[in-house]
Amino acid sequence: MKLKEINRTAIQSWSPAQHHPIYLATGTSAQQLDASFSTNASLEFFELDLADPSLDMKSCGSLSSPHRYHKLVWGPYGMDSQGYPSGVLVAGGENGNVILYDSAKIMAGESDVIIAESDRHTGPVRALDVNHFQANLVASGGNESEIYIWDMNNFDAPMTPGPKAQPQEDISCVAWNKQVQHILASASPSGKASVWDLRKNDLIIKVSDHSNRMHCSGLAWNPEVATQLVLASEDDRLPVIQMWDLRFATSPLKVLEHHTRGVLAIAWSLADPELLLSCGKDSRILCWNPNTGEVVYELPTSSQWCFDIQWCPRNPAVLSAAGFDGHIDIYSIMGGSSQAQSQRHADQISHSFGNMDPFGTGQTLPPLQLPQSAAPPATVNPLKKPPKWIRSPVGASFAFGGKLVSLENGKPAQPQQHTPHVVHISQVVTETALLKRSGQLQATLSSGGFVDFCREKIDAAENEFERTVWSFLKVNFESDVRSKYLELLGYNKEEVALKVSACPPALLSAEPDANMEPGYLIYFFLFLFDFLQDVDGLITQALLTGDFEGAVELCLHDNRMADSIILAIAGGAELLEKTQRKYFCKENGKLTKLISAVVMKDWRDILQTCDLQNWREALAAVMTYAQPEEFSPLCDLLGSRLEAAEDPRLQSQACLCYICAGNLEKVVSSWSRAQDGHCPLSLQDLVEKVVVLRRAVELTQRSGPAAIGILLAEKMSQYADLLASQGSLSTAITYLPDNTNQVQLRDRLIRALGQQAAPAQTHRAAAQLPRGPTQPTQPGSALPQPPFSPVQPAMVPHPAAGAPAPGPSSPASAPPQPQYYQPANQYPPGAGGAPVYQPLQYSSAAPPQSPPAEPSSLPHPPGFLSQYTQPVPSQPAAPPLYPGQPPVSQGMSSSHPPFSPTSSSFSAPPSSGAPFQHGGPGSPVSYMPPPLHPPPSGVPGTRLDAENRSVPENYTPPAPITAPILTPLGADTQAQPMSSGAPQAMVQGLHGAQVQYSGMHQTQLPSQAKNPPMPNSSMEGAPGAPTGDAVQPLQSIPAEKITKKPIPDEHLVLKTTFEGLIQKCLTVATDPQTKRKLDDANKRLEALYDKLREQTLSPAIIGGLHNIARTIESRSYAEGLNIHTHIVSNSNFSETSAFMPVLKVVLTQANKLGV
Amino acid sequence: MVSVINTVDTSHEDMIHDAQMDYYGTRLATCSSDRTVKIFDVRNGGQILVADLRGHEGPVWQVAWAHPMFGNILASCSYDRKVIIWKEENGAWDKMYEYTGHESSVNSVCWGPYEFGLILACGSSDGAISLLTFTGDQQWDVKKISNAHTIGCNAVSWAPAVLPGSLIDQPSGQKPNYVKRFVSGGCDNLVKLWKEEDGQWKEDQKLEAHSDWVRDVGWAPSIGLPTSTIASCSQDGRVFIWTCDDPAGNTWTAKLLHKFNDVVWHVSWSITGNILAVSGGDNKVTLWKESMDGQWACISDVSKGQGAVSTITDTQQNEQ
Repeated sequence: MKLKEINRTAIQSWSPAQHHPIYLATGTSAQQLDASFSTNASLEFFELDLADPSLDMKSCGSLSSPHRYHKLVWGPYGMDSQGYPSGVLVAGGENGNVILYDSAKIMAGESDVIIAESDRHTGPVRALDVNHFQANLVASGGNESEIYIWDMNNFDAPMTPGPKAQPQEDISCVAWNKQVQHILASASPSGKASVWDLRKNDLIIKVSDHSNRMHCSGLAWNPEVATQLVLASEDDRLPVIQMWDLRFATSPLKVLEHHTRGVLAIAWSLADPELLLSCGKDSRILCWNPNTGEVVYELPTSSQWCFDIQWCPRNPAVLSAAGFDGHIDIYSIMGGSSQAQSQRHADQISHSFGNMDPFGTGQTLPPLQLPQSAAPPATVNPLKKPPKWIRSPVGASFAFGGKLVSLENGKPAQPQQHTPHVVHISQVVTETALLKRSGQLQATLSSGGFVDFCREKIDAAENEFERTVWSFLKVNFESDVRSKYLELLGYNKEEVALKVSACPPALLSAEPDANMEPGYLIYFFLFLFDFLQDVDGLITQALLTGDFEGAVELCLHDNRMADSIILAIAGGAELLEKTQRKYFCKENGKLTKLISAVVMKDWRDILQTCDLQNWREALAAVMTYAQPEEFSPLCDLLGSRLEAAEDPRLQSQACLCYICAGNLEKVVSSWSRAQDGHCPLSLQDLVEKVVVLRRAVELTQRSGPAAIGILLAEKMSQYADLLASQGSLSTAITYLPDNTNQVQLRDRLIRALGQQAAPAQTHRAAAQLPRGPTQPTQPGSALPQPPFSPVQPAMVPHPAAGAPAPGPSSPASAPPQPQYYQPANQYPPGAGGAPVYQPLQYSSAAPPQSPPAEPSSLPHPPGFLSQYTQPVPSQPAAPPLYPGQPPVSQGMSSSHPPFSPTSSSFSAPPSSGAPFQHGGPGSPVSYMPPPLHPPPSGVPGTRLDAENRSVPENYTPPAPITAPILTPLGADTQAQPMSSGAPQAMVQGLHGAQVQYSGMHQTQLPSQAKNPPMPNSSMEGAPGAPTGDAVQPLQSIPAEKITKKPIPDEHLVLKTTFEGLIQKCLTVATDPQTKRKLDDANKRLEALYDKLREQTLSPAIIGGLHNIARTIESRSYAEGLNIHTHIVSNSNFSETSAFMPVLKVVLTQANKLGV
Repeated sequence: MVSVINTVDTSHEDMIHDAQMDYYGTRLATCSSDRTVKIFDVRNGGQILVADLRGHEGPVWQVAWAHPMFGNILASCSYDRKVIIWKEENGAWDKMYEYTGHESSVNSVCWGPYEFGLILACGSSDGAISLLTFTGDQQWDVKKISNAHTIGCNAVSWAPAVLPGSLIDQPSGQKPNYVKRFVSGGCDNLVKLWKEEDGQWKEDQKLEAHSDWVRDVGWAPSIGLPTSTIASCSQDGRVFIWTCDDPAGNTWTAKLLHKFNDVVWHVSWSITGNILAVSGGDNKVTLWKESMDGQWACISDVSKGQGAVSTITDTQQNEQ
């Protein structure tokens, strides 16, 4: 196919292979004249721009020359050194001159374009060739057997290859050997060819067939075989190309006969040694396979002779042919249609007549229809044999599952020999670490060794946050959850005991309140001295340890009537009664207000308004006291507030709230926001946590059938995709959630695993209907079983423990069974309007009775991790359930869905009591049932000073992770040494739409059990307690203030001094925490002022306070602190506990701030 | 780690030019200068010859599997100027369609994303690209882009099916209006992007960076990002990664992945689009991965199907 044409009668040379873009240099040919008879000569450059579809070649520079040319060769000399960026064009002239042109300069239009010139040759220089290996060497041939070797580095002194051949004759061709750099061949019209060895500086062989008819017009070395060359004969009587092998130089190896008249030029393709071009006086351009002698291609040419033909060194499919018809044509040897070009040709002519409307007829002329002289734009057949350059010898392509397919062709095809043609299929694994961890996770899931898994994670954790999360996750799978939590929070039983024993006896005796057990008191004093924070701290500690009575006492001392009542409610009837008595003694007539305040207090408000810095306390409070059905929403609420916080540290804590809420979806969103989703290992991190957490949630059964939210599904799909890309197909499929959008991936995995699954159609159809997250899927879906079967034994369904009949249970019936506390009040389902607390229903933990079977068990959606969620067999031990709760069907088989939606029915019948007769909401006292599932551990989120000191500044202690990790009865085998045959609760919610808080699956305690006999046990059972600002709304119910008396004038100075000091501190304090502390203190000191109003303080204390005030005035805060210590150690605890710690805080701050 | 899990002796009598696994990775199709196409079942490390397809009269350059939703369909292209589409019916492979519309060697075939239906792009040494669309009833509609690449198109590769503009604004219930696009590379050293508009194929972009024939192009699978990525390799030894973040698809930037010392014949993206396999004239296959900072690094040298994988990207990530 013709690509381009240049209207010149000229000889040509392509730019060197190294050169880009491709140029063609043309020089006016010496022995032809065109019709103008002009003897002007020029050197021109054209660019081969294949992106331009036109036939024109863009001229890139020209040079008017005094010489006409016989031969042009363009070598790369100087291109690498940038001396001649476009190489050197060597021209052989009419008059024996050899001229070196700087191609770049000609194209740049500069004038001093001649690098060097010599006219040493006699006669025209018809032969030139640049050495293949040394671009600085040019061979030239002239008349009289003259051959010179020019070194462009030293152009003035050409060498000769040896003595001149005799008889002297013209040299028509020279050619350097393509394999051996010091071998040169020359040929003359006489038909003789000579081969020179430049190292020997002599002629080494002559090649001649003795026919005397060879008239050498062309000479070319075989590009691959060093000993082979071809000679072309111009003689019409012998229009052949002879192929010689110097190893057998007596006669030609092969004779290529197809031309009918003499051959004018030949060119051997360097890109494919099986392609040799020749053009002849028969006007044909043929392409031969010189090895076979076959003509593999014939170019469609005009009827004119072609006298010069050249392969383009850079573009192997391109060749140029110069004809006597005044054209240089550029062809592609790859065939193709010339139709487009013909049409363009017509257009060009049409255009040359002027566009559009030359005659003013108002009509556009039709395109000129050229009489088609030639055959119709015939399709040109391509080469009969595919050229080497399109035969791709290599290849590698990826396939599904991280497979790489690569070819191996052995050696280049030698048809005679059988070379193996093989294809390798390889597995590419780039995420080795991920696969290793995935394997560990798989092993854990199948073995159930979550504790060890978590432990390893803890050991390997890179930061405190990770460590904490894993610590909490680990606790889920252990027994004795509460004490573990306490330890995590820094409460070590042994240490506490040590402190207790080390406590000064004076403190013991300091406790006047007979209602409190001395042990507790010591304990609180310990905290007092350990943390010396304020009364809030003390109350917190009391609550932490489940000592409601102590907490109530503290509140009463602190004049926090509301708090004390609230706490008493939690502490049970006895305590409530006692507290009420005390309260009534203290406060008269405020009861109604307080009640309404307490009753109406909504945790939602607290969570919405609390200072986010105290999110831990807030969370702890919710955890301990929130209604089961509102627990999750409340945690979510707090989580979303944290997530919206500006402080990134707070944001990162949001996920802990979501963990508590059991809201996997939010957890994922929170985690994935914090992590780089593109890094495979962070995805692994996420998946590990989610899977473990999910397992934990399932164990607690508090969220029913675990739904796969959109985001989680997406992450899981990503993970599956990632595993698949690493070849871990069988694992990948287990992670694909049911509601994935990756239907194709599922289908692909199934088929790739070679499983005969249900027709893909089924999958597609199924996937088009997005499943509601809670919509159970039939287990019989087309999903194949995961390739490895879970190691866990199938679940043995536990019949729900027969719950005792509703009604107060007698404490006596409780014992040997572990007891659980009911953490929150349950609103009766039907209660509309204002919520009314239901009285607490105590039910004794009855020994397992055969419970009614629950017939309907929800099928579990297969797919996502289904094999992991198979319930493990738990000991028959089943703790007591709620009264009236339908137990799970006894006959549940292992095929049953692991996500057993559990609904605890909080069917506490209303007790006929006053509203205050509450069942202890979050009554913190619960005995740790020895090995059984712990109650929802309200892990206190209270930040303790000691803890703060021990952690890095930027470390935020995690919120207690409690609810979701509650272990449901009988579900956790690992931790279940106990057995009592109680059934697992797998019941639909009894209360219709009411969301069942399955995590709070506990029996309530007999009231008498509320006072823990031992401090330690009280600690174990302590749920989180609200402290600090989180409970401010409650504290701010200022019942007392209504009846305030004035402070006696003589003591007013105390108030002004303390308040003044706080104000001074506030103006200086910079960090919010200190400010908050000070603000707090300001409020707390109200307790002192109240006591002053009441004039209930002993003179000693009053005196001491005045002394402190004086030290404040003189800014001797250290002295003030000494006095403070003196007062504390010499006064009645109950008298001073409400304000002295606060005062100490203020003094300490003042001292620190130096106000 | 790159480890051989199966070595298939194809028994081809001449050079193999292409080997492609089907969608599931369970079957292997090979083609050779011996003019045949072979299909092997390679599940579980085996190699069962399923079919030996004869019909081409010249070396077969490439094979391409259609998406399985259309059945088991394989396209092959040859130096004989033909494209043959083979289909398995009842366990037997037969010609489904033979396309003879090219005037020179057909060098590349590539099926479009299944969302576009059964559509095949073919690049030929005659410079044209043909688009064959199955219209049902054994009918194929043919569109041809003439002179797409002067003196030859060497490779075609489809863009993943993405909706124009944002992915969000697609009104539900409407039939997605995909814009069909593909990339081609040719002997004019150009990489060209093509787009179908109103049923006509138009040149959308012309990407210039290579200084010699573009041997292969690969449009990376979509990984959910708005970025489009194309790899191109050339006779000049260079591999470029072209990216376009602009939703209109107008601004493409080239990044040089590497300059090899020899011709680079092929590029192939992993299914997840994050690894590029580059096959060069030195019979070496190298695997490349983009590090977190956007630099491409060689993670493996694969020889005879085996090689180690360096964790260079991991370390780079850790350093950041």
